[in-house]
Amino acid sequence: MSAPELVTVTIDERSVQVPKGTGIVETAAAAGIEIPVFCYEPRLGAAVGACRMCLVEVEGMPPKPQAGCTLFAQDGMVVKTARTSEMARVAQNATLEFILVNHPLDCPVCDKGGECPLQDLTFRYGPGNTRMTFDKRTFEKPIPISPAISIDRERCILCYRCTRFSESVSEDNQLVAVNRGAQTMIATFEDEPYTGAFTGNVTELCPVGALLPTQPRFEIRPWEFQAVPSVCGLCPVGCNIDVDQREGKIKRILSRNHPEVDEGWLCDKGRFGFSHLYAEDRITDPLRRVRSRGLEEISWEDALDDAERLLREANGRIAVALSGSETTEDAYALAKLVRKGLGAHTAMLPEEIGGGLDAFRAPLSAIRDAELIVVLGEDPVVERAPIVDLWLRKARRAGAEIVEIGPAGDVQIAPGTTARACRKLKSGELGDRLRASERAILIWSGGGAGGGSHLAALATDLGFADKPGCGAFFLPETANGRGVAEAWAAASDDEGPEPEPLGLLIVSGDEAAANPNVRALAEQAERVLAITMFHSLAVGWADLVLPGTSYLEREGTYVNVEGRIQRLRRTAIPPAPDELAWIAQLASRFEVELSPSPSLVFAELSERVFGGVTYEDLGEEARLPDRVPLEAAPAESADEPVPAKAPGGTLQLLRYRPLFSGAAVERVPELQFQRPAPEIELSVKDAKRLGVRRGEPVSVRSNGTSVQLRAAINKRLKAGVARIADDHARDLHPTVEVSK
Amino acid sequence: MLRIFRGAGLSHRFARETGGLVVSPQPVDTLKGFGVTFKQIFKKPLTMQYPEHKRPVYPRFRGRHRLWRHENGLEKCVGCSLCAAACPADCIRVVAAENTAENRVSPGERYARIYEINMSRCIFCGYCELACPFDAITLGNEYELAEYDRDDQIYTKDMLLAEPIKKVPVADAELYDTPIPYYRAHS
Ligand code: SF4
Ligand code: SF4
Ligand code: SF4
Ligand code: SF4
Ligand code: FES
Repeated sequence: MSAPELVTVTIDERSVQVPKGTGIVETAAAAGIEIPVFCYEPRLGAAVGACRMCLVEVEGMPPKPQAGCTLFAQDGMVVKTARTSEMARVAQNATLEFILVNHPLDCPVCDKGGECPLQDLTFRYGPGNTRMTFDKRTFEKPIPISPAISIDRERCILCYRCTRFSESVSEDNQLVAVNRGAQTMIATFEDEPYTGAFTGNVTELCPVGALLPTQPRFEIRPWEFQAVPSVCGLCPVGCNIDVDQREGKIKRILSRNHPEVDEGWLCDKGRFGFSHLYAEDRITDPLRRVRSRGLEEISWEDALDDAERLLREANGRIAVALSGSETTEDAYALAKLVRKGLGAHTAMLPEEIGGGLDAFRAPLSAIRDAELIVVLGEDPVVERAPIVDLWLRKARRAGAEIVEIGPAGDVQIAPGTTARACRKLKSGELGDRLRASERAILIWSGGGAGGGSHLAALATDLGFADKPGCGAFFLPETANGRGVAEAWAAASDDEGPEPEPLGLLIVSGDEAAANPNVRALAEQAERVLAITMFHSLAVGWADLVLPGTSYLEREGTYVNVEGRIQRLRRTAIPPAPDELAWIAQLASRFEVELSPSPSLVFAELSERVFGGVTYEDLGEEARLPDRVPLEAAPAESADEPVPAKAPGGTLQLLRYRPLFSGAAVERVPELQFQRPAPEIELSVKDAKRLGVRRGEPVSVRSNGTSVQLRAAINKRLKAGVARIADDHARDLHPTVEVSK
Repeated sequence: MLRIFRGAGLSHRFARETGGLVVSPQPVDTLKGFGVTFKQIFKKPLTMQYPEHKRPVYPRFRGRHRLWRHENGLEKCVGCSLCAAACPADCIRVVAAENTAENRVSPGERYARIYEINMSRCIFCGYCELACPFDAITLGNEYELAEYDRDDQIYTKDMLLAEPIKKVPVADAELYDTPIPYYRAHS
């Protein structure tokens, strides 16, 4: 791309050079001058000029104040802000007086007070007192627009940021302005709760205290908390967050804009999910199983002795089930302990990612700039990596062509055939276009193991390695699945036989503890050592339970979907020592050298796999590592067996793991309404054949199990396939029978 | 070695220098001093027998805080934390919560669930009173805040809402703050 043309603009007698077409608000900022705004927010699309806070005087334009946010830099433009123009000053002052006419000014009870743009700008640009003597407009308040967000309509200044977010960022169109004039108010359509993966963002966008989260209601003042920069650990995107804590307890999570990762958006799981830390059934002390009495609390000394005994007794017949939510350091430490210290090399990794993807590494923001995007796979992108869905929507709005290949895609394929479809892309019309494009993106979203290797093979074939605008993303299921896999591999080069019979199963983390396959393995193991955060996940099957900590309570690093290594910080004090602390202690009993300090463990690991980067290099806004050129064509793993076509009259079951599921979400009251309804998605054809309509109860049966669900019709779903969320599919087999 | 000069030695020297006579150098001044002391015997004493009697303070004296209620019994404080923000000693802790129909503590949406002032840190500047938008907190005239335990210096909301407890014995509780000389009260 050629460098954009530079133009010279004079702002308050300061001249500044900016690329042509830069907004006047940014141009002024470049000159070091503030133009105050309420409604202007470039991430929401074109400016709407709703609030008139940004009024400036422009020479050569009609002699009236102009809305600065709607203007763009042109050569020779002369702009005067309120600093030098009396006209602009009076206009801004009047704007504020007018906004405050109906504003309740209940700052002392308003949670926004202290970080409220309306307060700040009124203080700097507004009138010192009011001339309004009539009654103010009143509304009932506060009204919950969902269990997580409440609205105070009296405070709303009608900037339309929230409705613009809903309309053109998350594209859910649920927040709308109803009524006219002074009676305009923001509401959800038909007063339904505002549901969706991204609703919480409106609380951060709202420039007043109109839309506020219900969760830390009245518990913090902006001057009372400490913000700790960290990274969200609930999905593989790894959004950058600021964690606000007061008196050692996390009170809220805000986004910390990383322009290449999240662009300042968060999903509701990341934003509101933190309260699971304070769940009732959180384990705070080590627990030992005492024969008939269940679990009993023991001291840490006893617990470490017990753990040592379990490890020694197993005599190397140990397997480790990992969750993918461990920090890279924790996973490395655990791997080093069992691999170096005990010679046990068997692990159940959360997923198989496959190598070679580092050669096509690109920032997530490359999706926005792409012209052709192919999304392969069975899982909706939003359920796996929600922010990627926002990037896709942004790309579509910018005119990109998005082709979805999956059971509910534009190109419909049967479940289990994603690998085959991926290989088919090497030739054919779409493949040719991908090969010709300079800005093409491939995304793999679920659908069989080894997706990463299939994707890498395809990207190699399409020549993506030499095109910096092209990239391939494999969306892992777990937040740090990539880092955990690399850490496990880095701990030792040795191999070992699978333990037979299994002496000890170490279950690390809640996802592993909740995984039915791990539970099945635990049945065969003689002993089970579990590391989990919650009682209900450990009770009944573990012999020794060590309390786990959450991503908000540990120091360490996560590797996200792009391969970006990002730092987690301890934002709250955990109720028990973190994993690394006791793994290091245990390691010393087996003569394995291991530091309890995450930075030293990372340094050791980084020497082996991350090219020696240090915590300082990662910084607060982590850079994407350079691409790693492929040495040989990536080995493509074998296809999974394609499930047999469902016999006549039955449907093929397609399960997916919903975004709002898992041990953390289950413990957050504000997120319960977001969990998937007990529904079965049917294609139009099947629904017609079965004679069921939307919302009707149906029974879903397979091999003796039966589940009652409501029918939902998905127009995009392939005929012969039924989709059910994991939470509701439970023990159903891959072929199901559906009847009224 | 340490040499100790004795008074005797000194007067010895004086005696030698003044030709053997032992006289005080300032006989008149000494008598004057005795005179002043003697005169005080016939005056009203300025000293007060604290703690039984206390010196009155100026009305604007800044002492122990007090939280106030509205006439209908609801607390004036809404838990806005502005006092805590203004406090230079950082000794106020406010944790707010939401009023409900069953538990209405203050008018409006918000009330202070926890309100604490650490009196051992307070410098009695009165900024909290100045900052409060609802006149919910004022500084009173009590200054007897000593405790045996530092923890007891943390005043809770209940303590601050109540009348100050007079912990120090006074001659007459009704006449608290009004000094009557000891000899009059006890004769
Ligand atoms: S939104 Fe801002 S100005 Fe309005 S009441 Fe809240 S803090 Fe005050
Ligand atoms: S609710 Fe907030 S964001 Fe929405 S229009 Fe009102 S002030 Fe703007
Ligand atoms: S008087 Fe001053 S130091 Fe004491 S609580 Fe009030 S603001 Fe703080
Ligand atoms: S005393 Fe006044 S300033 Fe302090 S929290 Fe209560 S209402 Fe706010
Ligand atoms: S910021 Fe320009 S009109 Fe609102």
